Amino acid sequence: MSAAVPNKRKADAKVIILGDYAVGKTCLISRYIDGKYGQHESTIGAAFFLKQWGSYNVAVWDTAGDEKYTGLSSFYCRNAGAAILAFDLNKSTSYESLWARFLPLLEHAKEDCLKVVVGTKRDAMNEDDREITIDEAIEFAKEINKDIDISKLNGEPYFETSAKTGYNVSKVFEYMFSYCLPLDKSFNNKIDGKSTIDLSDDSNRAHRGKSCCHKQ
Amino acid sequence: MSIKAFDLVPAVERFSLMSDKAKTQIECIDVCGKNLYIGTNDCFVVHYIIEERTAPNGKTSFHSNKQGHKYLTLKKPIVQLKAASALNRILVLCDFTLTMLNMLDLEPAVGGAKIKGVTNFCLNDNPVQGNPFTVEVCVCVKKKQVQLYNITDDKMIHVKDISLSETASCIGLDGHVICAALTSQYCMVNYDSGQHTDLFPIDLEHTTPIVKRISKEEFLLSGPSALGMFVTSEGISQRPPLQWSERLLSVGYVKPYILAMNDEFITIHSILDQQQKQAIPFQGGVVLNDFDGRIFVASSKEIYSLVPVAWEKQVQGLLADKRTQEALDLARNANHVGLTKEKFLKIFRRIQQQAAFIEFSKRNFEDALDLFREGQVDVREVISLYPRLMPTSSSYQRCMPSLHDIADINQLSHSDQNIVGEYKLFLISFLESIRGTKDAHGFKQEIDVALLKLYAENNSPELLPLVEEDSGCDLKDCVEWLEKYKRYHPLALLYRYHGETDKALNIWTRLVNGEIQDELFPGFSFVVDILASLSDHDLVWKYVDWALEKDQELSIKIFTERPSQEPPSERLRPDTVIDYLHRFPQAVVTYLEYLVFQKKLEKEKYHTHLAVLYLDNVLQLMKTNNIKKEQIDMARSKLRHMLQMSSLYRVQLILGKAKEQDMHAECAILYGKLEDHEKALKILVHKLRDYVAAENYCLVNSEGRDTGYRKRLFHILLSVYLDPANEKKDLLVQPAMNLLNSNVADFDVAKVIQIIPDNWSIALMSQFLKKAIRTNMHNNRMTRLERMMSRGENLLIKQIGIEEQEDPVVMTEDRPCAVCNRTFNEPSFVRYPNGIVTHIHCAKNKHVCPVTGKLFSTTSS
Ligand SMILES: Nc1nc2c(ncn2[C@@H]2O[C@H](COP(=O)(O)OP(=O)(O)OP(=O)(O)O)[C@@H](O)[C@H]2O)c(=O)[nH]1
Ligand SMILES: [Mg+2]
Repeated sequence: MSAAVPNKRKADAKVIILGDYAVGKTCLISRYIDGKYGQHESTIGAAFFLKQWGSYNVAVWDTAGDEKYTGLSSFYCRNAGAAILAFDLNKSTSYESLWARFLPLLEHAKEDCLKVVVGTKRDAMNEDDREITIDEAIEFAKEINKDIDISKLNGEPYFETSAKTGYNVSKVFEYMFSYCLPLDKSFNNKIDGKSTIDLSDDSNRAHRGKSCCHKQ
Repeated sequence: MSIKAFDLVPAVERFSLMSDKAKTQIECIDVCGKNLYIGTNDCFVVHYIIEERTAPNGKTSFHSNKQGHKYLTLKKPIVQLKAASALNRILVLCDFTLTMLNMLDLEPAVGGAKIKGVTNFCLNDNPVQGNPFTVEVCVCVKKKQVQLYNITDDKMIHVKDISLSETASCIGLDGHVICAALTSQYCMVNYDSGQHTDLFPIDLEHTTPIVKRISKEEFLLSGPSALGMFVTSEGISQRPPLQWSERLLSVGYVKPYILAMNDEFITIHSILDQQQKQAIPFQGGVVLNDFDGRIFVASSKEIYSLVPVAWEKQVQGLLADKRTQEALDLARNANHVGLTKEKFLKIFRRIQQQAAFIEFSKRNFEDALDLFREGQVDVREVISLYPRLMPTSSSYQRCMPSLHDIADINQLSHSDQNIVGEYKLFLISFLESIRGTKDAHGFKQEIDVALLKLYAENNSPELLPLVEEDSGCDLKDCVEWLEKYKRYHPLALLYRYHGETDKALNIWTRLVNGEIQDELFPGFSFVVDILASLSDHDLVWKYVDWALEKDQELSIKIFTERPSQEPPSERLRPDTVIDYLHRFPQAVVTYLEYLVFQKKLEKEKYHTHLAVLYLDNVLQLMKTNNIKKEQIDMARSKLRHMLQMSSLYRVQLILGKAKEQDMHAECAILYGKLEDHEKALKILVHKLRDYVAAENYCLVNSEGRDTGYRKRLFHILLSVYLDPANEKKDLLVQPAMNLLNSNVADFDVAKVIQIIPDNWSIALMSQFLKKAIRTNMHNNRMTRLERMMSRGENLLIKQIGIEEQEDPVVMTEDRPCAVCNRTFNEPSFVRYPNGIVTHIHCAKNKHVCPVTGKLFSTTSS
């Protein structure tokens, strides 16, 4: 529970992040919002951030991964326009939880809720020890989004990220935001310029990321 | 972490009904204006009047006065009571029955309306219907449903039943929305639209369900894991949850704080950042709630109020703890009752300034900078924290009451030089950021002087623009400082900025002479540029000597690169300058070149002088031993260029010297200037054997003249080649041939043939002759062509002329002859071109008009 946000501003869209405890959900969000990587206490209940997206405000909800909060997380999913299903690339059980535990929670989200699968801690993964293949993850991501139209989006709803290095982080959020609140082109450029994340670093990596995570 | 947001103040002490009823305990309370009602465990309703008083020291106290009490004869505890002032009634829940009492005398309301089987009830604070004398009430009944009633002062009208999936234990009501705690979960029902929304599970083992309406369309519920969950009427959350302690009993809200009570503590959270702000130990609490913005809390025997500490005081408390972000958030969100916008802004700005100095002392420079700027701090307050940076003339006194307790940056940094350095860098960026903005208005001197001192210490190149233009730096403070740090060049610039150019130049001369050093000083040429642009010519003369002795070639710019719009001055007249420069031979040459070539002054004196100097230079070089030929060639070509280009110098003077030294090329040019072309060409041909130059000579010297002149020059050259008196004339046959066959040369062929030696073969001449004939022929034909075309044209014009003049001659019977004045008898007559008409016999001469005597052309055309 952090981030004092003026509560009066009403959010134009809501996105939420789900996933097992300690997969790095809070780190991912704070990397995006504050541009920093730091240690966080395990999230209690939920936390909340507002992010400016063009002229819109997006509410970003961070949830607690611990099982005892499952009931709450489902409540916080209500009305979400997009959700991140996060798993730790180095821990295959966290991948299995997505299907078993978290996907059902999104029942209360909007009908056309976009589900973005995100493998975290990419920096800590050795390509040789990969447990979940990219193809398998993309397959899963496509399957769970089969009822909504994502053809306008840039790539598949699967990303591999590192909150530690910033790799692919802003791409995930921009992918979701542009699904919920499409901006016209000129605005998009402005967003890029204003992003809180070290773009020079990120955009290079994002490029590599595309070739690695989005084989078409 | 903590802040004192509330004070616990007794409201009703040692509550007792009758001295003997020691068992009587408080179950529930309600406060409505000055009326305080208590429901007891032994079925009493007690009425107090309480008065709140504020002592001069700001302390609040309560005085209570018991008004009466009522025993409801049910021997059961009063579970809930709620005043409805619009109806003048109190709603009382006791033994599962909801009844009404009069507010003042506590007698049962007439009619005795009641609802049975009620476990819990609540009033709608956001009613949907407009009648002020009706209260909307929702009650929980034992079955799986809740019921809505409209209650007037004597009736309880049943409106609606709403069934639920489970039995509700407590409820909240807002508009059309009922929020209910069921046995396993919370749910939200819109009884208008009929929409049911399940919220989240209730963990009855660890939490008491609480439904607290905190504002329009927003509820606060006690969730699992002791979380305080915010839920809007739409069934979603817009704020993160609060982390509460276990076993909460009740909750109250006054903006921006949530107060929650368990059996040991009252904890206070801010809804701004969801953090806990205060915890007040409070044992044996029974109930806590907010009543029209006031918080009351009851234990079994006593009632207290939680009086909010004034927000200004809370903010100052936070600032004292150096919690600036919280202080600013609180100030922004506090209840600003009784403050105009301007007044609040003034207070808020001061808070920002205080916060800024706190961040400053914590070395959070980014935040400090923003706050200093947003809070519009007096820049002098900041500068004055840095010893010796304020102008000595300043009489600035630090702001009272003081904004901070900082003595100076040395105190903050414990004189650690690295930290002092950081502070100084911060001040630089702060001052740079406000320099030129409206915040700097009126403090230009303070800002610029401080910047100058900081830059001087760091030896920053920013010093230069600071002292060069639009500078607020005065001499008094800055001279000493710049000297101390040996920033001599900026010092000189500052002198110059303040019009003390002599002092400035004095420093620069010392810098050039190496007496003092400053790496910012760009060097000697800089001083020259200054002198060249100086409008004070006396000062120019003062330093010219020094400059020229340093470097003639550079320093002459002082005279040659004057500002273009400088008015002519007696002190800088060319003659004066030339007279002065005689000691500096190189400089004179450059200066004369400037006068002759650049200014294009057409004065014989300068031209001759420059030519003589060039010549002297050549002669000097020729006298020197071991000199490279190229060097001499260079000097001579410069001379020749001058001789050729100018026509204003005294030719004879130069010619005399040039002849003495056998400088043939120069002589040739000079003879050319005298139009003694034969001599010139002879030199070129015989002495220099430079036939190309000779040919060139003819071209150059005939430039701008007619072709005859040109032909004459080439003819002279040819005659020089073919001079029969020349012994080595055979050697010149080839050049002569070349000349004859040259494309550029131009000859009078007839004259050429006359001087061609007889022994030359036709073959030798054939090319020339062919060309000559062809040219002649061509010219001939061209001339004829031209003539014929002219004639054609002439004819045409004549024809037009005749057509213009053509007029019929009208002969009538009475037209007389112009000569004899008699009429015509025959059809023939004579008409002269001027229109005179006569008899044939009267026209004696057809070429002379018989009347006017005018002569007409005799040639027929
Ligand atoms: N190497 C590496 N470690 C990471 C990364 N992101 C998070 N971590 C680590 O993973 C741990 C958990 O991160 P959190 O962000 O707190 O995890 P969470 O998903 O929010 O956990 P809960 O709040 O308990 O649900 C922390 O110790 C982080 O240091 C990453 O990108 N790379
Ligand atoms: Mg977390």
